[in-house]
Amino acid sequence: MTPVDRTRLPLPGADRAFTLPAFERADLGGGTAVWAAEHRRAPLVALHLLLPAGSAADPPEVHGLAALTAELFTEGTAELSAMELESALKRIGGVLTTAVRSDATVIALTVLSRHMAAGLRLLFEVAMRPRLDAGDVERERELRINRIRQQLQSPGLLADRAFLEALYAKHPYGHPAIGTEAALRSVEPAGVADFHRRAWAAAPWTLVAAGDADPGALIAEAQRAWAAVAASEDRRPAPAAPPDPPSVRERMVFVPRDGAVQSELRLGHAGPPRSSPDYHALLVLNMVLGGQFVSRVNQNLREAKGYTYGASTGFDWRLGRGPFRLQTSVQTASTVDALREAVREVADIRGPRPPSGQELDVARAALTRGFPRTLETASQLARAGLQMALHGLPADDYANFPRRVAAVGAEDVRRSAARHLDPDRLVAVVVGSRPDVFDGLAELGFGDPVERPAV
Amino acid sequence: MDIAYEKQTLDNGLDVIVHEDHGCPIVAVNLWYHVGSKNEQPGRTGFAHLFEHLMFEGSAHLDRGYFHALQEVGGTLNGSTSTDRTNYWEVVPAGALERALWMESDRMGYLLPALTQEKFETQREVVLNERRQNYENRPYGLVPMALMAALHPPGHPYHWVTIGDPDDLRAAGLDDVKAFFATWYGPANASLAVAGDVRAADAFAEVSRHFEEIPGGPPPPPPAVPDEPDPAGERRLLLVDRVELPRLYLAWRTPPLHAAGDAELDLLAEVLSGGKASRLHQRLVRERRIATDVTAAQSSRELAGSFFIAATAAPGHDLAEIDAVIAAELAALQADGPADDEMERARTSADADFVYRAQTVGGFGGRSDLLNMYNVLAGDPGYGPADRRRYAEADAAALRRTADRCLRQDARVALSVVPAGATDAALPGSVQVHPR
Repeated sequence: MTPVDRTRLPLPGADRAFTLPAFERADLGGGTAVWAAEHRRAPLVALHLLLPAGSAADPPEVHGLAALTAELFTEGTAELSAMELESALKRIGGVLTTAVRSDATVIALTVLSRHMAAGLRLLFEVAMRPRLDAGDVERERELRINRIRQQLQSPGLLADRAFLEALYAKHPYGHPAIGTEAALRSVEPAGVADFHRRAWAAAPWTLVAAGDADPGALIAEAQRAWAAVAASEDRRPAPAAPPDPPSVRERMVFVPRDGAVQSELRLGHAGPPRSSPDYHALLVLNMVLGGQFVSRVNQNLREAKGYTYGASTGFDWRLGRGPFRLQTSVQTASTVDALREAVREVADIRGPRPPSGQELDVARAALTRGFPRTLETASQLARAGLQMALHGLPADDYANFPRRVAAVGAEDVRRSAARHLDPDRLVAVVVGSRPDVFDGLAELGFGDPVERPAV
Repeated sequence: MDIAYEKQTLDNGLDVIVHEDHGCPIVAVNLWYHVGSKNEQPGRTGFAHLFEHLMFEGSAHLDRGYFHALQEVGGTLNGSTSTDRTNYWEVVPAGALERALWMESDRMGYLLPALTQEKFETQREVVLNERRQNYENRPYGLVPMALMAALHPPGHPYHWVTIGDPDDLRAAGLDDVKAFFATWYGPANASLAVAGDVRAADAFAEVSRHFEEIPGGPPPPPPAVPDEPDPAGERRLLLVDRVELPRLYLAWRTPPLHAAGDAELDLLAEVLSGGKASRLHQRLVRERRIATDVTAAQSSRELAGSFFIAATAAPGHDLAEIDAVIAAELAALQADGPADDEMERARTSADADFVYRAQTVGGFGGRSDLLNMYNVLAGDPGYGPADRRRYAEADAAALRRTADRCLRQDARVALSVVPAGATDAALPGSVQVHPR
């Protein structure tokens, strides 16, 4: 056996061939479709139902309606009470979660694969024929209002909310899915039923299924389950991407939390939509800037300065122009210094300090060589399918991901940074202790800070 | 799920466990050191976790941050510290296994030459900021400090929480690092699992090549665990915090991980608060509507477990109302045990969790982490099926007996957390505490 050579780090061997599971696709008419892929590493199937409307579909005066309606998915179906539904799910080892994103809502059910047929029927029942009992609506509405109140003491959530409002104002992306207390107070049970019918019952859904099953069998089973619950309504087209956001007026928003030992920081502006041809170049750029531990922002604010437990950046890829965001939470005394460094990192990467060749190598490797790891479980594979379905990409698009990332060159990254990062448009949100940090914020060149108490 | 494995022990005492799975071209490396905050000295609380941070800052032959060398090959990595153990893991493309082992062995064998005062001080600031972010600046964030201090007497290894006291962190120095490394970070106190797309024989050979040169050293001392007298009655505590709604925490000292009663308490937690059909959710949130949420959990640890119930008051309601409902439900379980359908749901849910947990080869809770957990805390990496049987074989009578034995009203700590100016929402007779 060769002894260990401690003078140099071992070089990695060549990547092994990775056969991507392929999605089979069946159209069920009216824009609805089933995607199915085989993934036999655990006796589970992941069933993800994509409903093409999310919080951006909230009526302007009723922010929070989509998320409240989605909460009712687990409150029973036409045939099953909430308790019976819960029992039925537990009996098949099912875990059901609902996520309301800006552009879409996903009901995800993972079940033991031997209960696949029962799981599919329950999933469609839950999505298409929820009970929407008036008493349940009223109770869940109160619970959500109480959650909104509790968020008043959560600095991170206050920062997220203020950031969306600062970037998007009244644009459909300008509010968190949970909405506001005033809006939820105005909701009637009939409004919930109406939203469900318009947004989801008559929507062209996509079921993405992956797991320990034959794709053909999954599709056939899904067709049978759908036939049993199918509503007769015509499918409406999915909502279009929201328009571009309005221009920003206030660039420095301050939310007071006196005595706080840290300041929550958000910094960013509206970014490009997922359909941008610069998507892959921006993923590489983000890996250099703030997408992983060794990225510039974390190395600077955490590892060099010790201001924070962590700092990161990301583009939120949506149908419309989702936010580009830098986020961190820093000790109070370092608030202004941390913000100055954060702004400098965004400005530098598109100007005086573009990514070096070595940084680009690390960024591309993280995305390409790390790719198989992101498809280890059936749920991960189903989520990859969901992204393709939501953004209208072909079912084999992700197979090209490593090749496209590998092809991103320094010039692509430089051009994309220049096009999509704009230091002069950056908006900052600070949730922190007013006596300790407010006065310093005016020094940052973002204009006078605007104070927005949490309400 | 039964996780197939092979185990060998090197001459220096390092346990090595290998699990093959060729479904995805990745390999997980997972290394447990059997040391946690329970092994800290008074006056140096939080040190095991601070030490964990230093393990990522470089070693003698790779004197730079550990993230770069693994992220540049498409890997991911992390670590964590609990009361009982510290773990480190990497998930890398199969071809980068050697690099991951080289790095883990370099920091096990040669950490100290790369350590500097500057690195130490920066990571101490990072940890203080972790504490601010996850505890001090978060609603109900100081509750763990209050509960652990109340459940276990001073001098008990669980009297303090893993993140530690800020003054203790500030008092620590490089000498503490050297002593801690020498005492706890030898191969005889560690367990290494390799799982994924690798042949077992190759994995064992590579592990031996990298780790066998590290000397074994003496076995570490067992933690001193003082006798814990039975609680002399219920203790009621009050914490005034920056929160919108009052919350009641009930806590009990319970049997340790894998001991009789541990699985039953896990199942009782499911019966009490697992989902909308659970007893406390039904009574508190749906029927009476006096609480906005409720959770129960058995926290299973090596030296002693603890069982928690937490419920947040709906506006206009106080914690005594909530307490009365919880007490009545516990009394009912202590008298009659769960119904058949409750037992079936709880057992099915626990069984499915075993499947869900073992979906990944690496990371927190993946197969490599589970194998190490069983090896270190049950003394057998193959304990999985027996662990699963504990849940399958628990019946309603056992849950009833366990509730009766472990969740007595006169043995509990009741902590009321209320906003400033709302102390009348607390349980009557609560004594104010000031954790930090």
